[in-house]
Amino acid sequence: MAGAVLQGVNLTRWFGGLCAVKEVNFEIQAGEILGLIGPNGAGKTTLINLVTGYYAPNGGDILYQERNIAGMKPHTINNMGIARSFQIVRIFPKLTVLDNVRSGLVDRRTRSPIRVALDSILRSRDSQMIGRAGQARGEELLDFVGLIQYRDELAENLPYAYCKRLEIARALATEPRILLLDEPSSGLNPKEQNDQITMIRRINAKGITILIVEHVMKVIMDISNRIMVLHYGEKIAEGTPEEIYRNPKVVEAYLGGETSAQG
Amino acid sequence: MNRTSIKLLFGILGAMVLLALPFLIRDRYFQHLLVLSGIFVILSTSWNFLAGYSGLLNLGHVAFFGIGGYSSALLALKLGLSPWVGLPSGGIIASLFGICLGIPSFRLSGPYLAITTIGFSEILRLISMNWVELTRGSLGLYGIPPFTALKLPGGLSIRFVSEQNVYYLVLIFVVLTLVLMHKLTHSEFGITLKSMREDETGAESIGINTSRYKLTVFMISAFLAGLAGSLYAHYIRLISPEMLSLGETFSVLTMVMVGGLGTLFGPVIGAVLLTFLSEGLRFLEDIVKIDIRFIIYGALLILTILFMRNGIVGLFRKAGQSDSGRPGD
Repeated sequence: MAGAVLQGVNLTRWFGGLCAVKEVNFEIQAGEILGLIGPNGAGKTTLINLVTGYYAPNGGDILYQERNIAGMKPHTINNMGIARSFQIVRIFPKLTVLDNVRSGLVDRRTRSPIRVALDSILRSRDSQMIGRAGQARGEELLDFVGLIQYRDELAENLPYAYCKRLEIARALATEPRILLLDEPSSGLNPKEQNDQITMIRRINAKGITILIVEHVMKVIMDISNRIMVLHYGEKIAEGTPEEIYRNPKVVEAYLGGETSAQG
Repeated sequence: MNRTSIKLLFGILGAMVLLALPFLIRDRYFQHLLVLSGIFVILSTSWNFLAGYSGLLNLGHVAFFGIGGYSSALLALKLGLSPWVGLPSGGIIASLFGICLGIPSFRLSGPYLAITTIGFSEILRLISMNWVELTRGSLGLYGIPPFTALKLPGGLSIRFVSEQNVYYLVLIFVVLTLVLMHKLTHSEFGITLKSMREDETGAESIGINTSRYKLTVFMISAFLAGLAGSLYAHYIRLISPEMLSLGETFSVLTMVMVGGLGTLFGPVIGAVLLTFLSEGLRFLEDIVKIDIRFIIYGALLILTILFMRNGIVGLFRKAGQSDSGRPGD
């Protein structure tokens, strides 16, 4: 662990009169797996959307590589090395499994669309990222997530669990430093959840820092180095899985005490 | 024989037939229809690039066709420029308008983009109707010069008055367009467009600047449509605001849908088939006394959507036991 790679400072986001994320401060340490939990509507997905540029915060900063990335566009943030998955998968249904991954391989950091178009016209397919080298890299990633046997299948024909893995493989294709996973285990059976845990550990072992939002407690307790808890948009706790497990505020937020009976 | 050599054989045979066609059938009316088909192949291919590959439902596509036609006609008539200058100019001016129309597509999609683009083409049609000093209104521009003779070394020259010679000229542009399309869709660029079409939010998450890609696609597509318009103007030598009518957009849409949306050869098959079909059924017009073309197109469109969603190319793919059944490839 070598200091924070990403830092949120007083992050706030309103939706009309509802404060989805309220002055949240957090740090993601390099190389860790940070779990993010909270009851429904706690603002977990909003936080991911803020960090990845899908929402602009109403207040606060997001510091990454000595820059404030708050309010930048999603594609810019991805180009800077932050990738994500979605709670409801957003793969490309009519593309093959391999092409889904290869779509993430194209180098868009240094080349404008016109440049990519010209390269596509003038260069041979093999000298492009989606040529032979891209194919090999794509297959390597599919192998990594265990989908190599479906490489030529259309993505729409995959079962849900595989779609989730495909989406992660696609995110990995963009070579991120930080990967934000929004409920990677939702909708999966226990066996598939275990596979998912193993896979996330292997991604982390490659040196990729991970922020994971999860409802399945078994998964999150098992996998996280640290956990932070959101409740009604506010951070109510942070610590190791054991500490969170025993934290009375967290128990109250989940099981409901006198004060949160309206939830 | 493996697949590649079969494809090569078909390619060579096809090329020979296309080159020999004007000599095999010397009927000028038939040759005229071939030229028209070629122009529509370019136009519908350019629309397919937007709607089929990039998922941008542009229902004002004839605007680019009209801009290309009017620009190069006016350059020739008012400034006396050669059609050979007008041709690329028509394309470039259309692609500038393409950029304008690309900007609303950043935030609009589906039906909203469709309505906006219809508005765009209708505005241009009304301008061409009402700016009488420039466009002569609904009378249209006539006396547009044909492509001037090309001088070859050795005292030879090619003139473009006969249908036959224009056919070869258009054929060259058709081939160039298809090669360009193939390169743009089977490459890094193509995979980017398809991912945008499939899921824009997902595409952003892997670093695709969707706005700038859309702009680029609009630019390229409008350029090709403008080129087609310019070819049309200098071939027919008479253009009118009808060139910009909504009906024309829907003919292009029908050609692409019948042939196969999001495929390379779909627009080719659709454009040739529908051009010949509507001419072949002209005799019916004497009986029903209305423009038969749109009735046929409408019926075909409905039948296509009901019974062969992937068009004629889709049928062939199914029959050829789908080389792993990839639509939109």
